[in-house]
Amino acid sequence: MAIDWPTTTLEVWNEEPLGVKNPKTWAHYHSYGGWGRFFRGLEQGRLLATRCTNPRCAEKRLWLPPRTGCPDCWHPMEWIEAPQEGTIFTFSTVKYPGELFKLPAGTPLISVELPGVCTKIMSWLKDGTPQFGMKVKAVFNTKKPTHSILDLAWVPAN
Amino acid sequence: MIRFGPGNLRIPKFEKPVYVVAGGLTDFRKKYPEKNSCELCMEALRMAVEENDLKVDPEQFRRMVNWVVYSQFADHFGDQLLAAAKIHDYLGFDPLGNIEVKTGGATGGSAVLAAAQAVASGYADCVPVVGWERMDEVSTRVGNSYIASAACKDFESELGWMYAAYYALMAQRYQHENNVPRESLAKIACKNHEYARYSPFSQNPGHYTTQDILANDIVSDPLSFLECCVMSVGAAVLILCDEKVAHQLSDQPMRLSAICGGSHTLRTADRRHMPILLLPNETEETYRHYFEGRRHEWPGFSSFLASRMAAYLAYHMAGIRDPLEDFDLLETHDAFTISDIQTYEDIGLRPYGRGREFIESGDAYYEGRLPTNLSGGLIGTMHAVGATGIFQLVEVLWQLQGKYDRFHGDPKMWARYGKTKPADWRSLQVKNPKRACAISHAGTGSHVTCAIMEKP
Repeated sequence: MAIDWPTTTLEVWNEEPLGVKNPKTWAHYHSYGGWGRFFRGLEQGRLLATRCTNPRCAEKRLWLPPRTGCPDCWHPMEWIEAPQEGTIFTFSTVKYPGELFKLPAGTPLISVELPGVCTKIMSWLKDGTPQFGMKVKAVFNTKKPTHSILDLAWVPAN
Repeated sequence: MIRFGPGNLRIPKFEKPVYVVAGGLTDFRKKYPEKNSCELCMEALRMAVEENDLKVDPEQFRRMVNWVVYSQFADHFGDQLLAAAKIHDYLGFDPLGNIEVKTGGATGGSAVLAAAQAVASGYADCVPVVGWERMDEVSTRVGNSYIASAACKDFESELGWMYAAYYALMAQRYQHENNVPRESLAKIACKNHEYARYSPFSQNPGHYTTQDILANDIVSDPLSFLECCVMSVGAAVLILCDEKVAHQLSDQPMRLSAICGGSHTLRTADRRHMPILLLPNETEETYRHYFEGRRHEWPGFSSFLASRMAAYLAYHMAGIRDPLEDFDLLETHDAFTISDIQTYEDIGLRPYGRGREFIESGDAYYEGRLPTNLSGGLIGTMHAVGATGIFQLVEVLWQLQGKYDRFHGDPKMWARYGKTKPADWRSLQVKNPKRACAISHAGTGSHVTCAIMEKP
């Protein structure tokens, strides 16, 4: 029994030297693992951070992005709601984003300082013009969540 | 995060001295369909072995090699897992052992570190380090997505899919805290595009004024296109040996007196404050007045703890007291103009908050106190990521050996890459340099190596 030649071919994009297009179309089945609770929280309008449960650990502040294990002592962390109002620590407007960016070019990216949180989460400003020290509050994409970090955004607090 | 204990700050040492005898490059291009990655690596290797005055012929050299280190940043870009095996085979080094190193933008520096460790321990005595990157199989927009996959994909990549944006966030904060004139940042871009004009290897040479740089289209506010590194295809090779083999191979071996690594969180978001780790040329007094009020905020968003850590270890390892005095030239990882200013501070060329003075004073220029990125750097010449840290040390080696003109000024070298040597070409050979430093850097400062090469 003779086997036929394949029916799908590679498209030639360049004749000399010969260049072909290798297609990529499959998905990665990614799991957030223990951090999934944070993303589920966003869908419910909750900003979930974590805190180390080890009483002897020096870091008492919250972590956001959350970690389920403490980097300072390797003990488990507990989930606690973070404050939803903070200030803009820094910002930039991305004019030429990379492929896969789901927001329009020109979206302001921001890093947000929150009281009692030891980190400065990177996020985006949904409304207004960013400034240093500007008070902002969290808003959540609860209606049609992307199930990504983009479900969290900030708007001017006043 | 580590709160430093005595073991954490142990100064690394080599059990045996490590030498560098030869370097080779390809030219660097945005697109290079004429040559595949195997061919590029062979071209750089052949330059290293055949054009560096080695005292053995290529066949003899092949018989001396006993370990090979490969350096490629992204399997995404090359679209070939285990590419090192393919290249190792193509170069004819089988069945020798080899290892591939990956630490993002610092892959080249880390690969040289791994090779140095092999030589210093006695595991091997003749080790080629082969680095390359092929970034032209996808569009620039997809390429930026690939690079942003080296940010945290769960919490940060979705925010722009663009590394320049992550540096722009740092740039804005740095500007806010230190009020640096935009022109000072632009001067770095002018300098490196200008020096790239004298290199036949360069991808993005150009004569620009600071106004040209500032008027250029913005990628992510405040960084313009001309302030960002290029995306390249190309390869670089460096050959490391122990002392005995170095003298068998070369009359001009240079000593790699130190190469050390540091790290910091992948996400800038997670960078907590700590006391400043002081370099040998700094004291508590250095920051008593200038940094008062916010010295507890170090490293914040405007300093690279990884660079400081790598420099701290390397300076102590090589006996550096003051980098500005002890180095005769420097190669930094100028991925963006802002990161260069940050690095000037991290490696002690100026105290924190005063990095701008290094460029503004003229120190950073050819014939300045510490000429920096005479190669054209990442902004002017290349950023074929896996090759970059190796490229820096190849350029440093040639400078220390007094061979800048041979590799940059020979019209035949320009013709080799289909270019014409510019009529106003000038030599950037540093006069009798004794010691040089090169910084290889990843992410927003996730990995950094600091290498020090000197005349023995």
